[in-house]
Amino acid sequence: MKFRKKLGGRVVVPVALGVAASVGGMALFSQGAAAATTTGSSSSSSTNSVTYGGTNGAGKAPITYMKLDPSTIALGKTLFVENCSSCHGDTASGTSRAPNLQGLGAATIDFWISTGRMPLADPTVQATVKPSRFTRSQELAIDAYVSSLAPGGPGIPQVNLGAASLSAGEGLFSTNCAACHTITGVGDALAGGVYAPSLYPATTTQIAEAVKTGPGNMPRFGTGNLSNQQVADIVKYVKYLQHPNNAGGIGLGHVGPVAEGFVGILIGLGSLMIAGYWIGGRAH
Amino acid sequence: MNYKPIDFLDERLGTAKFTRKSLNKIFPDHWSFMLGEIAMYSFFILLGTGVFLTLFFVPSSATTVYHGSYAPMDGHVVSQAYASTLNLSFNVRAGLVMRQMHHWAANVFVAAIVVHLLRVFFTGAFRKPREINWLVGSLLLMMAILEGFLGYSLPDDLISGTGIRIAYSITLSIPVVGSYLASFLFGGQFPGDKIIPRFYTIHILLIPALMAGLLGAHLAIMWHQKHTQYKGRGRTEKNVVGVAMWPAYAMQAGGFFFLTAAVLAALGGLVQINPIWMYGPYIPYKVSYAVQPDWYMGWLDGAMRLFPSWEITGFGHMIPTIFFPAVLLPGITFGLLMAWPWIERKFTKDFGVHHLLENPRDNPWRTSVGVGVMAFYMVLFFASSTDVLANTFNVSLNFVLWTFRVLVLVIPPIAAFVAYQLAKEARSAPLAGMPRKAMVVFRSKEGEYTAEESDPRLELELKRNAIHGAEPKVLPEEARIHGEKELAETGEEEKFVFSVSSVSAVVTEEIGERPSGGSGVYQVPRGAPGAGGGLFSPRGPRSARDGMDSGDGE
Repeated sequence: MKFRKKLGGRVVVPVALGVAASVGGMALFSQGAAAATTTGSSSSSSTNSVTYGGTNGAGKAPITYMKLDPSTIALGKTLFVENCSSCHGDTASGTSRAPNLQGLGAATIDFWISTGRMPLADPTVQATVKPSRFTRSQELAIDAYVSSLAPGGPGIPQVNLGAASLSAGEGLFSTNCAACHTITGVGDALAGGVYAPSLYPATTTQIAEAVKTGPGNMPRFGTGNLSNQQVADIVKYVKYLQHPNNAGGIGLGHVGPVAEGFVGILIGLGSLMIAGYWIGGRAH
Repeated sequence: MNYKPIDFLDERLGTAKFTRKSLNKIFPDHWSFMLGEIAMYSFFILLGTGVFLTLFFVPSSATTVYHGSYAPMDGHVVSQAYASTLNLSFNVRAGLVMRQMHHWAANVFVAAIVVHLLRVFFTGAFRKPREINWLVGSLLLMMAILEGFLGYSLPDDLISGTGIRIAYSITLSIPVVGSYLASFLFGGQFPGDKIIPRFYTIHILLIPALMAGLLGAHLAIMWHQKHTQYKGRGRTEKNVVGVAMWPAYAMQAGGFFFLTAAVLAALGGLVQINPIWMYGPYIPYKVSYAVQPDWYMGWLDGAMRLFPSWEITGFGHMIPTIFFPAVLLPGITFGLLMAWPWIERKFTKDFGVHHLLENPRDNPWRTSVGVGVMAFYMVLFFASSTDVLANTFNVSLNFVLWTFRVLVLVIPPIAAFVAYQLAKEARSAPLAGMPRKAMVVFRSKEGEYTAEESDPRLELELKRNAIHGAEPKVLPEEARIHGEKELAETGEEEKFVFSVSSVSAVVTEEIGERPSGGSGVYQVPRGAPGAGGGLFSPRGPRSARDGMDSGDGE
């Protein structure tokens, strides 16, 4: 047991620290709030045209489809035979292990290989994101080869964010996407080992490809469901979610009250219990 | 005439006597007695920040087109409640920090109440004569949880709106009266436009007023009954050993208030909570996956996730699944909680008055019940994050769910059994609960150290003072007077044991020869009563030998 210090040290120090920390916390905050306000007003000045991430290209088509270079088909074929044919067959017509890829279009092929999902790490579970095995030009060569085998399916969408609306994207995202990917886009587990992945690592092209082709368990949103403009709006909002307005401090991974509860109990109450232990009596 | 305002008051209201008595009120000093204080101070912060929020929040479900500074929401049709919360967060100076402090304070408030309740439970502080205060405290906990849920619901964002939807369904699930109750509460079908203003009135007026009243009663009863204390030398069922209200306890409590405010301000300023701008407005056809309530509702959420989908039909009424985990479980929980002092007495037949607390090991049976019940609710609490756990650890959600269904049945009995065995073991350990012996160390003129056990009197003196960080000392005359007055009024003996200023003189230096037959007892300096002493050495004079404080000892 420690002998208690003099009353002076025991009381004045906590009081002084408490006051200092309160004032400090407030001062920190008022700066944070001021910064938030500034950010808010600066973005509000450009709000009515709803522009997020630059105005370049406003007015052009929201989505254009990439033209693939036919001269890369030969390279694409080589790469396909090396990396994909053992399951999908030499001409991508499918085997007992994997589906037919002919006629799916370049967007589907590009999404699966550019996100690293293909080649599969483990065919028994949901395909996981990993670094792509190919360079971008190799990916495009494979896309060119597979899409040259049969017509059909969407091409690789290139999103013109300048022509997209952030606030329209929020409305479409919360209606169509949040039910699985969560409203913050962080993703979550669904039933039976299936999960909706986090949207944070996705590129603009990959987001649009996913919406248009519906990889895995995800629904496919054809142009009858979502127009190219709407897809571009969603892409713009997802890109925003990757770097959202984080006013108010550390974002805690955007998983909501679970993380907040742990911080409140462990850090909030925990530090106060330690403080109480510090200034209160102990053994007896 | 030197006529002071304080005299004015005293001559009319007779405040001096009360104030003098109050300032000399003794509070046992132990850190575990400060857990309730954390809750109380959080409550004060909640009131302060809450008043600020009411200045800007618009409690209305009426819609408006948002054209504020948060660009992604521009042009959306939202409720005024949601729009005003966005404005509060982005356009009101210090609005966001106030909102976040309010929310963090709510989380810490309920957490502190729960930990305080656990302290009271495991030390048996609820026993006679404190059963009424146990009831008051339980009511405060229920109200705090309800109040938290209402506040969480007010911004009308997508997540909290989903919570209100669940609350509506839970109300509907109550047999016979459910649909009437829900219709009454919501003013018709969900969502309607009445629920936000109604929640607002309940949240800012009704429940805070009830809580303030109950908190006052909680404190007044504690004041009247005097605080419990842990067993220790000099502590009996008839006395209270501790520090006086003024200045020691008041300074400590005041300091602790500022510490609480500091932690909450720091959290409010540095850690984001409930970023409703990312959630968007609540629109009934929209839903976000991974919706959780705030932590204190987590056990209910977990229970709803784990409970199998059983529906029972009888007498022409169907009892929906949700009734069991969301209505029956909390009913049983709070029913048993409030009845616990009587339940325990039924078994122990202990009708005596208790002011001395028990160490949890002293009562293995109660400790084991407490740990088992706690384990049950902890498993339910963690079950409310099945989806987050499944996603974080890359396992199937169904696997996590079934694991929790097993754990919720298996863990509590195991925890209770282990707690019982540990408590029994600890109780039977040699010297368990015995006060440690004070040793007195002497240094002779030549520098030789000798140690010896003190005699019981010194030991008692040291022990007592070690607790309070005080110097062994006789009661100052003044203190005696107050003490005797209190005695005369209450008819109890030894109401005050004054602990006196701080010196930890376990190591005493001996100049010259040791006293013959010296136990060293009287080497410990005793300050002269009434001499010296300022604001921060109020309980008696400093010894002339202050410079020799060794700090730590025993």
